[in-house]
Amino acid sequence: MAAKKPPSAASTPPPDVGLLEEIGGGFMSAAATVGGMGLLGYQIVRRLVTLRFDRQETLRNLYRMGVKSIPIVIVTALFTGAIMVIQAAPLVVRLGAQGLLGWGAGFGILREIAPLLTALMINGRVGANNTAELGTMVVTEQIDALRVLAIDPIAFLIAPRFVAMVTTLFLSTIFADTLALLGAAYGGLGLLGVEPKTFYNGLTSGLLGLSDVTSGLVKSIVFGVVIALSSCQYGLGVKGGAPGVGRAVNATVVASAAGIFVLDYFVSFTLD
Amino acid sequence: MAAAKTHDEGAPESGLDTAREAPDASIPAVIGAKAIELVVMGLEIAAVFIRTLYYCVRGRPDLGAVVRQMFEIGNRSVVFLTVVMGFIGMILVLQGGLQVKRILPEFSMVGASYLELLIRDLAATISALMLATRVGAGIAAEIGSMVVTEQVDALRMCAADPIDYLIKPRFLASLVMTLVLVIWAAGVAMLTGMLTAYVMFDVNPRTFFNLNLVDTGDLIVGLAKCLAYGAAVPVVAGHSGLHTHGGSEGVGWATTRAVVNASLAVIVLDLILSALGYVFFGP
Repeated sequence: MAAKKPPSAASTPPPDVGLLEEIGGGFMSAAATVGGMGLLGYQIVRRLVTLRFDRQETLRNLYRMGVKSIPIVIVTALFTGAIMVIQAAPLVVRLGAQGLLGWGAGFGILREIAPLLTALMINGRVGANNTAELGTMVVTEQIDALRVLAIDPIAFLIAPRFVAMVTTLFLSTIFADTLALLGAAYGGLGLLGVEPKTFYNGLTSGLLGLSDVTSGLVKSIVFGVVIALSSCQYGLGVKGGAPGVGRAVNATVVASAAGIFVLDYFVSFTLD
Repeated sequence: MAAAKTHDEGAPESGLDTAREAPDASIPAVIGAKAIELVVMGLEIAAVFIRTLYYCVRGRPDLGAVVRQMFEIGNRSVVFLTVVMGFIGMILVLQGGLQVKRILPEFSMVGASYLELLIRDLAATISALMLATRVGAGIAAEIGSMVVTEQVDALRMCAADPIDYLIKPRFLASLVMTLVLVIWAAGVAMLTGMLTAYVMFDVNPRTFFNLNLVDTGDLIVGLAKCLAYGAAVPVVAGHSGLHTHGGSEGVGWATTRAVVNASLAVIVLDLILSALGYVFFGP
């Protein structure tokens, strides 16, 4: 059960912690995590601005994170596109508005669903993976070894991952937008008998603008930053050997998923 | 199972993986190997599921373990789910309202459609995706570290089936707690959605809470989804955990695999159940 507790002060509770202490401890550890992520972000940006990061490592990470995530992005996007049509179907049938299907599914996909679900899937696959990898390096003292060799771990390990993750999420979201619309168009044909042509007409009839696409893409960048920072932060903060890695992986997927939803609201709110 | 990618990063030591990385593996060969892997994994998960069901009927009764897992799965997810669904409620009503404003002059239908969508699909699916992340990762990490430290082998030595001892309690606990958590999450999302509609678009809460569009079909589909997801997440995650190999690093891979596979299982089940609901209950 220890594997499920967040790596906070509460994980080794003194015999009689009251509710207040527990809540306070939770807030303190949350604040420490967010502050650590901010600091890490600052350090990464400094390396990026002065171009002191490893290009080779960036390309390798882009391949491992980006190219290898393509299958899950394809499956998720096609399925969600079809699900969107099923959920929009009652409204379309009730109002008899086949021409609005493209609009309904399109705005849902472009603004919310494609960026959100792509981020959640990539968080599960790449973010967790990243934490496990960095955590193992911390536990086996490989990071200390890098420091001994006078190699800056942030420039060599963290900044390339940050760049690769943000790029991956941005490109995957574009990819997922396209595929989800395709899934929705053919889902509409199979389920409601709406011709894909009508669907695309509804999509381009002027109700949807470029702002819908860019709003989704801005979100994808924000989500990429959140996933990258939290997975690196939790990975570098691993304590307690092998079980600590499992705990950190668990904590990072939960923290990034919550962060994604919270920031989604604020980005949507700001952009409109 | 549409989990096409499971092994691409998982177990570097599996035989198929080395075949994939051989320099002259042609694309059909890679796709074929993946397809075979996928079928094998689907069968393995089905086997775990059937054995879990068998042990639910014939296994040793262990109410204590189930209750402990209910606490682990349920109580520890409440805060996380409340935050996520609270924000989802606000986002959906905000985005939906802004779009409706473009084509309709009034908002009386926003609440009704939102509630219908929430009950039929979003409450269950988004909560289940979150549970797949949180609960799935936890189950896989826990069972995986037991496998790595040979505790599962020790169980087998004692003639105890790890599925009976480890997966069955999680399965039963997840079935119950998913249902409870989804109902709670739906309530939270309705509340925050109502508040958003009131603050942003001046929709009266009474107008918003319009359950006219919700019918029995919606309710049945929503509850069926809760049960399906509640059953799928522990089985898929438990399968990943039991197939951990490669020491402590393997636990990390198993966790990743569990989260991805469980999320994909949720999405695939969502499509299947939504389509069935559409066929049986109509639009």
